[in-house]
Amino acid sequence: MENFRHVKRIRKKSLEGGKWELSVILCLAGENDSELDRIPNEVIEVIQQYQLSTFVGKVCKYAASTKEEWEEQCKFWPTSFHPPTYNIAGITGFTEEDTLSVLRFMKYAVDLAASSTDVVVNAAVIVDPSTKEVISTACDQVLPCTIPKCNSSRQANCFKPPEPTKFGDLPCMKKHQKKISIHSTSDSTWLCDFVSCLHPWRWAEQRPDIGSGSWHPLQHAAMVAIQSSAARDRLLFPGDGHSGNEFIQEDHTLPHKTVSPSKRQKTHLSSVKDERENSSEMNCCHTDTVRPYLCTGYDIYLVWEPCTMCAMALVHQRVKRIFYALPNPNAGALGSVQRLQGEKSLNHHYAVFRVFLPRDILIRGDPSVADTSENQQTITSGI
Amino acid sequence: MALPGEEMVRETIEFMKLALDQAKLALDCLEVPVGCVIVEGGEVIALGKNRTTETRNATRHAEMEAIDVLLEQWQKSGLSQKEVAEKFSKCTLYVTCEPCIMCAAALSIIGIKEVYYGCGNDKFGGCGSILSLHAGDQSSKGFNCKGGIMASEAVSLLRTFYEQGNPNAPKPHRPPVQQT
Repeated sequence: MENFRHVKRIRKKSLEGGKWELSVILCLAGENDSELDRIPNEVIEVIQQYQLSTFVGKVCKYAASTKEEWEEQCKFWPTSFHPPTYNIAGITGFTEEDTLSVLRFMKYAVDLAASSTDVVVNAAVIVDPSTKEVISTACDQVLPCTIPKCNSSRQANCFKPPEPTKFGDLPCMKKHQKKISIHSTSDSTWLCDFVSCLHPWRWAEQRPDIGSGSWHPLQHAAMVAIQSSAARDRLLFPGDGHSGNEFIQEDHTLPHKTVSPSKRQKTHLSSVKDERENSSEMNCCHTDTVRPYLCTGYDIYLVWEPCTMCAMALVHQRVKRIFYALPNPNAGALGSVQRLQGEKSLNHHYAVFRVFLPRDILIRGDPSVADTSENQQTITSGI
Repeated sequence: MALPGEEMVRETIEFMKLALDQAKLALDCLEVPVGCVIVEGGEVIALGKNRTTETRNATRHAEMEAIDVLLEQWQKSGLSQKEVAEKFSKCTLYVTCEPCIMCAAALSIIGIKEVYYGCGNDKFGGCGSILSLHAGDQSSKGFNCKGGIMASEAVSLLRTFYEQGNPNAPKPHRPPVQQT
């Protein structure tokens, strides 16, 4: 049965009176349907021992490629259907437009990382790629000095979703170029002592040089960005979260119980996308659109590869794609130390890309370079 | 007189019962029933229950909730980062389900002393099931970790949650499990 892996071995058929009939595939019949004489001897023994009534049935030769095909196949004999796991845009390459878009959003993150605080920290930008809308932005808020001045309390940040920003008029793209050069050292690298994901365990060190105010050892940029996007969700789609067709996450499932999130997610993803396309065409507000399920369908841009905590948080929040610019050899969980995207047991898998930015962008923070043709060679690569 | 070992076991069970109470509260709120308590010097100093549905933030696991309670409290009373780290290094967490990879990483970052958990988490577990973040290495802090404390009670709560036919479940969704 090597070439029939998609064919189920057992069929369960319901009969009248709540009874079940089980049929089991014993062996392959000949091509002309009736060669029962080809049954191997050991199978004949089994048939006799259990007094089985045999018949020749038809099964589908090839595995189904779509759900519809699969439903048709099951009318003959049950088969299994595995929708492709990695049907994510980008796996087979990016269009020129997508590449530009990825580079622009990454530069937005780079700019945030360098501009919003006194020191260079990690920054995160969550984007809806179907509308090119920025869903939330955040920087590390681990140390008091890294809490953005314009948004001094975490509380305020939590309940104030960022204004939807359209691709093309990203704020502060050209500001703050000076600050990065202040912090770049002579060997042209960033002073990145304060990047939370690079040094997750360093929060407890005494630093007399840093300011006073609120701090939090776990408020890494990605965690704060998730928090803001959840706050935005609650604000734009009010409701108690416990009604109708709404969704719940299942992060603590029973041992040995496996749902099939890929199918469910796929269904939902397409409905969200359709709704959003309609809404942007009509230029109406979000209240008419379908409430998103966590960050399903969204991308996140991070300057540095996330640590294990952040990478797993992004699994929980169902982010679709992660783009990062710089690897994190100390604690990176997407290739450097761990490789979470390859953990089969997880119930959600995102695609991970490293964006190779020209070195001088990181140093000078000059996003205008992105428009030159030279930068189109900075291809994003799947990890 | 009870042996010191027996006394410890009794204490562990008592704290796990309190964590299970939190999990039950989560269940009442139609949340995935996971709960925890953080204990310092034999006293419960923080409670936490899963709030992922309410917050629409899938990172709001019981452990993260309890950690945030302490961080806010300790910061209000003016403790420095170093003092807070010292406090965490004396704390024990009792949680009904094995901390997921995110929570295990967070517990390592804050530098918790030890963790007792109920049932294992064979899809997301960060304390032995999928990753072993409690073990630590050259660059990361580990913590003592022991599972299987009142695991059947923890599993039975989770089973109740999934068998009651989750009203918030996306459609299409699997039907509630048939009792046999």
